[in-house]
Amino acid sequence: MAETESPAPKAPRLGSADVLAMALTFFALGVTLQVLLIDRGTSVGRALLASSVIFSATSQFAYLAVRDAGGGEWAAISAGAVVATRFGIMSMTLSPRLPHVRWRRVAAALNAFDPNVAVAIQQETPKDVEREFWRTTAAMMTGWFLGILVGTFIGNVVGDIDRLGLDAVFPAALLAIIGNLIRSGDGRIAAVAGGLICIVLLPVAPAGIPIILSVLGVAVAIILRRPEAAR
Amino acid sequence: MSTLSIIALVVAVWGQRLLGAFVVGPVLGRRPVVAQAMGLLPAAVVMAVIIQLTVAEGKSLVVDERLAGMAVAGILVWRRAPFLAVVLAAAAVTALLRVC
Repeated sequence: MAETESPAPKAPRLGSADVLAMALTFFALGVTLQVLLIDRGTSVGRALLASSVIFSATSQFAYLAVRDAGGGEWAAISAGAVVATRFGIMSMTLSPRLPHVRWRRVAAALNAFDPNVAVAIQQETPKDVEREFWRTTAAMMTGWFLGILVGTFIGNVVGDIDRLGLDAVFPAALLAIIGNLIRSGDGRIAAVAGGLICIVLLPVAPAGIPIILSVLGVAVAIILRRPEAAR
Repeated sequence: MSTLSIIALVVAVWGQRLLGAFVVGPVLGRRPVVAQAMGLLPAAVVMAVIIQLTVAEGKSLVVDERLAGMAVAGILVWRRAPFLAVVLAAAAVTALLRVC
């Protein structure tokens, strides 16, 4: 089985180079989020706690973006909750493929992210699914927790985080995450519609609403594609 | 982040993962439209977050170095470049343009 240099979800199993790349990626995301949290006035202790227990960096970024735009606490929390639907879908995809042991399914569901589910569901037997899931998870989590530790301690030193381009790290990571979805026709329409809804509403709607209403992009995609499917 | 937001997000994020695995998933098989909608949801909401992080400054739309970094990221994603390369290139382009 050839090892590739990328953490390509195409690879049936992760080679050691993939594991390292995965860990490095999550390390970079962890550092970025932590530096940003501290830059936005979160105390060191609370920043560490938040990034250790929330298990959705996307939600944290969405929360911060809404707060930056002047949104209230609950608007920001709602935006963070809406973007976490992605993880509900991930665990929904993963769960039926795992061995039928309730607590092990719960543990796996809570750790469902994009890369580990993508690798796991390509395995054949439930045992293999579970093993590859946890191997990938271990690589991600190792990188993540080292990243948030390092980010916490350099957060006070870095100063102007924009100078390092750190503010581009997370949107770029998100784009890579939905890359495969955007390659499909439906996914592309949903993404463009969701993005347009957000752009149009950003200047006029209360902060948080643009992200929440972007779910309507899904309806646009389904409606536009339906006649085609019926033909 | 406030303590309230940490608790609320833990409940929302953990709750949705459990709901997906144990409630929504098992009943979805019978409703293909729902399944299709769920599959498309990440594309729509994640793109909205990307937009907010790329072209928003508070409540106004701005075009700045981030957009150039994201354009490069977009090309790399389209060409199926490794995840880490996408992230590093976006940061590097954004940072370099700010120096210039």
